[in-house]
Amino acid sequence: MKLNLKDINERYEMFTAFSDVPDDSKFIFSAKDNLTSKDFETTAGSKILKGYFPPFDATPIKKMREAGGALCGKTNMDEFGFGTFSTNSAFGIPKNPFDLNRSCGGSSGGSACAAAVLDDHVSLGVSTGGSIVCPASFCGVYGLAPSYGRVSRYGLIDYGNSLDKVGLLSFKASDLRKYLPVISGKDVHDPTSCVQPELELGKKKMKAVAIPEEAVKGEGISKDVMASFESSLESLKSMSIDIEYVSMPTLKYSIPAYYVIATSEASTNLARYCGMRYGQQEGDLTLKFDDYFTSFRSQYFGDEAKRRILLGTFTRMVGYADRYYNKALQVREAIINDYKKVFERFDAVVTPTMPFVSPRFDEISKMSALDSYKADFLTVPPNITGMPHLSVPCGYSQEGMPIGLMFTSDHWNEDVLIDMAERWDSSFKVRHAEVKA
Amino acid sequence: MDREIVERVARIAHLDLTEEELERYSVDLGEILEYFEMLDEAPGIENQGFNPVPIPDALRDDVPSMDIPAEECTKDMKVYDGFIRGPRLA
Repeated sequence: MKLNLKDINERYEMFTAFSDVPDDSKFIFSAKDNLTSKDFETTAGSKILKGYFPPFDATPIKKMREAGGALCGKTNMDEFGFGTFSTNSAFGIPKNPFDLNRSCGGSSGGSACAAAVLDDHVSLGVSTGGSIVCPASFCGVYGLAPSYGRVSRYGLIDYGNSLDKVGLLSFKASDLRKYLPVISGKDVHDPTSCVQPELELGKKKMKAVAIPEEAVKGEGISKDVMASFESSLESLKSMSIDIEYVSMPTLKYSIPAYYVIATSEASTNLARYCGMRYGQQEGDLTLKFDDYFTSFRSQYFGDEAKRRILLGTFTRMVGYADRYYNKALQVREAIINDYKKVFERFDAVVTPTMPFVSPRFDEISKMSALDSYKADFLTVPPNITGMPHLSVPCGYSQEGMPIGLMFTSDHWNEDVLIDMAERWDSSFKVRHAEVKA
Repeated sequence: MDREIVERVARIAHLDLTEEELERYSVDLGEILEYFEMLDEAPGIENQGFNPVPIPDALRDDVPSMDIPAEECTKDMKVYDGFIRGPRLA
């Protein structure tokens, strides 16, 4: 299949690198640019990695290639995954195919855009705090973030080691069943992947879902999203799924706990970028050791990367670590317990995916850093707990922007999510993006 | 967050901030940490793990191997006589 990726990319800026693929490829896929890949520059959206051509494929890319897939491009993203709108990339901003003045969501924005505009296309995304389901919701496609550890992170450029998950985005629900087994499995290169039970699909059906009152009964969700959510609940009832409101009191602590853990881990992970081994290496070698690293990092890290490094360094410092980092780890356990109690009676927790439809770029530019962190309050809980979660397109706003519905299931229970995606797809008409070339 | 603390954190993190960045990050981080204060009242469970699912230590024998040839790994690095170049130590 010949695709004119150059024209498409000029319009949407979803790729940081791309190329034609063989006509006889079994299937075509793209991958977020924080997954290392032979043949393609890998930058993770950061200037500091410009010029980095990895000598190996990340395990999920390797497995997709071994299954007959052809990698056609690396998708644009927030620098190192730091963002909710993909506006923090050093290589352009991917445009929402439903409205070019709006965001694709983040941080796997380019992957969601590719899934929305390319026919028969599946894209590998990565989620740390919601980076698969958020862009899936904004671009009107299916997005699945599996359990933490289900897919090997070998070759993934780390953001938060205890949070990062590789998953899938596609216009077709059936792609989730098709490709999750391809990318899943134990990998000796990633010990976190070696604890997983076998992936079993087709065993469980979703019969009862819980709605956390703390997530949906506030003022944080826009009217059009709430209307779509309520209408979706009716659809679930028509599928003979029981619905009940429950209390999950720890959810309100998810955002601070998540951002403490995520930035703490990020600030240590980003210490490796010192201008000697990867990407940019044009620093002044006559400088002293510390001065060289400092000048290099100050020049090439973007604004949000610096903010998160500062925050994560602070929350780990002697005198502050107990109050922030250690407490955040304890709170994570409390949130996991809250979910586990719910899963004793229910197959999934359901909420809207994002509290609003994709905002315009001029609206995003007026948001403070904290405003943007708070926008993740629905997607962070399943991510901080490492639980698998799925976003399905469930409606459209008055302006025609997609709205997403998110299901979260217990660790390792991806099968109920995939079953739901397919049942949902058979009853809900997903719209193609209508922006014309 | 006090500007002096931001300067100290930046030094530890090997970041050299401009005056404008110092001012801006002081305000941003102050606002963020004020919001994080809610963690003080949050319930927590002790003996917490570092991961959301238990990950046992994976130990193996230390066997030398060459997954990727050294010349492949260093092909885009600024090397001198096979060694990675770095700034001076003193």
